[in-house]
Formats: sequence, structure tokens, C-alpha cells
Amino acid sequence: MPYPEELVKPMRAELSSIGVKELKSGAEVDAFMAQKTGTAMVIVNSVCGCAAGGARPGVKLALNATNKPERVATVFAGQDLEAVAKARSYFADVPPSSPSIALFKDGELVHFVPRHMIEGRDPKTIAADLSKAFDSYCVGAKA
Amino acid sequence: MGTFHNDKSALHGITVVVDTNGPKVYVGRCDDEDTEKVILLDADVHEAGQNGKTKADYVNRAAKFGVWKKFDHIVIPRNEVASIKRLGEVEPVAEAKPTPAPKVEAPVGVPPPGNANAVVTLTAAAREEVKRLIQVEGKPGLGLRLGVKGGGCSGFTYKLEFDTKKEGDMVIDYGDCNVFLDRKSTIYLRGITLDHQKGLAGKGFVFHNPNATNTCGCGESFAV
Repeated sequence: MPYPEELVKPMRAELSSIGVKELKSGAEVDAFMAQKTGTAMVIVNSVCGCAAGGARPGVKLALNATNKPERVATVFAGQDLEAVAKARSYFADVPPSSPSIALFKDGELVHFVPRHMIEGRDPKTIAADLSKAFDSYCVGAKA
Repeated sequence: MGTFHNDKSALHGITVVVDTNGPKVYVGRCDDEDTEKVILLDADVHEAGQNGKTKADYVNRAAKFGVWKKFDHIVIPRNEVASIKRLGEVEPVAEAKPTPAPKVEAPVGVPPPGNANAVVTLTAAAREEVKRLIQVEGKPGLGLRLGVKGGGCSGFTYKLEFDTKKEGDMVIDYGDCNVFLDRKSTIYLRGITLDHQKGLAGKGFVFHNPNATNTCGCGESFAV
């Protein structure tokens, strides 16, 4: 059952305030994923303080780097159910977990950070892991 | 910011590997632990030797991909627990399967039936049945599309349908019938044999998947 929207609002804002596009429906996810060229990142956000509490600032730090995905979007697990299910259909090979982060290049999943690689880690460590992936796949991308 | 649970143990919310003194090893999100028990949520369990995998093999794979949950909630008696470790601290070793959804090489040649390197092998019975069904469909150019999709009680579900070739497909030409595989499915189907069993006790099309670490009783779902 979704959490009260008032509780979730600041967790959404933590990402949307840095320019991450919120996708709230399956159609919005499809539209975002329809662009098959370049790099894109989808963050599965969550209310979980143990993991998402570090993931959001980790993403924020990582996106300060020079190499980063051209397009970044987020869906909210447990809240925007249709959007999350649709987003996961683009990385259906991977066991679902939230929070998690998927990086795509030219429409193909190239890097995935599951929940267990986020939980208990501080934002700097999460950012460092993401930056490593960005350096591999997002060099020269125009964000 | 987020939600916090100060009344729980330090491992609350952390995905852990719970090794036991016996053959079982569990992976799941720790809800709580005390001197009596460990409580895991969204958990999976593996038994040493299950599907030819040791406990270490299983944990190694979990460290790379995570696990498909089999239990919403599981309680492990503390006296069975040998160790608890964060899954995120397990370093996957080189033998692990490739990272999820890697790039598969461009469509390759046409492995002959029975070739050990064939991505997918159809038994003679399966080929006959596919041929027969395509004739019934009466549409030239149709072949058998095999694939996998997330879902089912063991994590993945097989796709089996008649279709025409699509861009990027790997094509296996059996002469009298073609098999199409999309790139993503190829990695999960490598080495698979598709059989067809007739008769009252027969199950129709049956998959034999050497990559599956676990299968469901229905035979339509598997885990890797």
C-alpha cells in the first residue's frame, strides 16, 4: 500500500530538484525509454531510509561529475506502481530491488546497481561506484 | 531522509547472507535478529549441491545479481546460523555468470542439431511438433520464437510462440524449421534443449535448462 504522499514528497523532491525527471505512469516510462540513442539512467527511488536515504544524495553527488548520463529519470517504488513495473520491464533480467539504479547506453542496459550495493553505504561511496560506471559508459555525453 | 527503525537490529534493512551449520544458505533482507532467531524478508534459500551449485557458487551469483525472492518472510533459528554477512560485502569471483543483460555478440552461425555448442537444441520430437504446428498455422516464414521474461514463481518464464524473424534475432536453422532468439534471451537459453512429450502423461513442450539453478514444479519458470 502506498505511503501518504506528504511523507514521500520530500524524497521525490530530493531528486526532482536536481533535474531528475519523475516518471509516474507506464506511458511516461515508455516515452522516456523510447529514445534509443545516448545514455540514460533510471533510478528506482524508495522510502527506505536504510538504502534510499544514501542513494539519493549519492546520485546527486555522482551527477556533479563531468561524465554522466545524458538523460536521468526516476520512478518511485511502492508509490507509482505502474511506472515502476514498466521501468522494471526494461531490466527484467535483474531481480527487482529498490532502491536500484539502471544505466542504459543506446537503449541497452549496461550497468545496474542493485539495492544490496547501496544499503549501508554512504553517499560518497555510492557516488564513487556510479562515477566509475559513468566513466566507462558516459564519456563525452552531453548531459 | 527516509524511514528509520530504531527498535530493530543494526542489520535491519540490509541484504545479508545467512550461512548455516547445515547445507542451507539464505539470502534476504534482514528484518531483525536476536539471540533466538534471524528474520529475513524477501528471501531465497539454497541447499549445497542443489542444481550442481555449491553454497559459494550460489552466494557468488547472488552478490552479482541479487536474488529472486521465494519467501516473503522466513525465520531462521539462531542455533542453525554459522555466520551473517552483508551481501554487498561479498566480492563476486570471476566464475560468476556475466553481468545482467550484457551485450550478446551479433547473431552467429547456424549450429547443427545436437552440436554441443548450439545455443538451443530441439530434439527430433520437438522439431516434428513445431513443423506440424507451423503447417497448421499455414503461414509461410513462421518459425519458433524462444525467449525468457521476468516473472513466474522461480524468477523467469519461458516464452514460446510462433513468429517471424525480427531484426537482431539469432536464427537457428534446422532445415525444416527455424528457431528465433532475441539477444537478451540468448544468454539464459544457451545450452537449453527443447523436447516434446506426447501421450497422456506427456507435458507437451519441455525445457531442459542446464543454466537453471532452480525450477518450478510447473516447468514454466526457472531461476539462474
